[in-house]
Amino acid sequence: MKRNTLVLFVVLFILATFAWAGWANFEYRKQAAERALAAVSRAELEPDPNGGAPQFVTPLKGKPAPPFVLEDLSGKKVSLASFKGKAVLINFWATWCGPCKIETPWLVELRNQYASQGFEIIGISTEGDDLQKSDHAGWEKDKGAIGKFVQQMKVPYPMLIDGDSISKPYGGLDELPTSYFLDRKGTVVAAQLGLTSKEDIESNIKKSLGAGK
Amino acid sequence: MKQPVSLCVAALVSFGFLGAISQAQTLTGNGAARSLAKPEPVEYLYPEQINVPAGKPADIVLHFRIAEGLHINSHNPKDEFLIPTVFSIPDNNGVHLDAADYPAGVDFTLPMDPNTKLSVYTGEFAIHARIVAPAGNHLVQAKLHFQACDRNVCLPPKTIPVAIDVIGK
Repeated sequence: MKRNTLVLFVVLFILATFAWAGWANFEYRKQAAERALAAVSRAELEPDPNGGAPQFVTPLKGKPAPPFVLEDLSGKKVSLASFKGKAVLINFWATWCGPCKIETPWLVELRNQYASQGFEIIGISTEGDDLQKSDHAGWEKDKGAIGKFVQQMKVPYPMLIDGDSISKPYGGLDELPTSYFLDRKGTVVAAQLGLTSKEDIESNIKKSLGAGK
Repeated sequence: MKQPVSLCVAALVSFGFLGAISQAQTLTGNGAARSLAKPEPVEYLYPEQINVPAGKPADIVLHFRIAEGLHINSHNPKDEFLIPTVFSIPDNNGVHLDAADYPAGVDFTLPMDPNTKLSVYTGEFAIHARIVAPAGNHLVQAKLHFQACDRNVCLPPKTIPVAIDVIGK
């Protein structure tokens, strides 16, 4: 009887070990897949070989920008594909991001300056504050803060929410602001990480307008 | 007949152990994952364990360190859109946070926006908390919520665990 109990215990232990190993394997593969996706498109600041300011290098450069469909503040769905034919600056930002607040007036000015040449900016808010899909009050508060910011800054371009949902194909968005510049065919021609200068942004806008004509 | 059964069980145990150990090594020994990891913007320093009078308010001082080059908003940031630093204790472990006294922030200005003063913490800072704990040993998983930036970029808001062994006597 004792022996049977012991065997039963050992068999249960083995089954539990297998179950744990299976779960660990699943978790590992899931994490590895997520890391690989973010790493493939992660952008980094790299030293300029000519001794100039560090350059923002993104593996997305020369590739089609990852497609997305996000809601604007009114709940309307907006797709990246609907901007095809225009040079586009995708600006990931957040209401709590001081450097984003500094560059927003530059973006507004540059958008108004180059809009007639077929240039548009898509602002994408990435609050990143563990906001759950089911937290309706949280999302309303978030939208309220974005709306207030948009009003204060007189932002004329589309402002989309929930950038966190597309963060992985855009390199993880671990740091804000992050901007991607697309030519008229939707190919990434440049990217910027962090606050640089209005001149840097304008230079990249010119690249996006010039390339892929 | 008994011996083959024992041998089978032994083989299964060995196989199970080997499988489990190999999985554990895969989970913890991934070099690529480590290389992608960045240092934590804020680290809880001490205390790890405190003795307090059971059932009575007790003052404790919690020490934190912010990574070099980063700052986090103080508890009272000057801009309505900024995320304040907040310490909390979940209600589910018997230890109650009565009050938290935060240090005053230091004025900080971004080079590109010299007219805007932010209220931030840098380096090391301490939060004075008043807690009430019942008698016994309580492993409290408190939390610190904050949002960090450097001069050019901001990191997403984050909540870190603040593990304290509270002994009510």
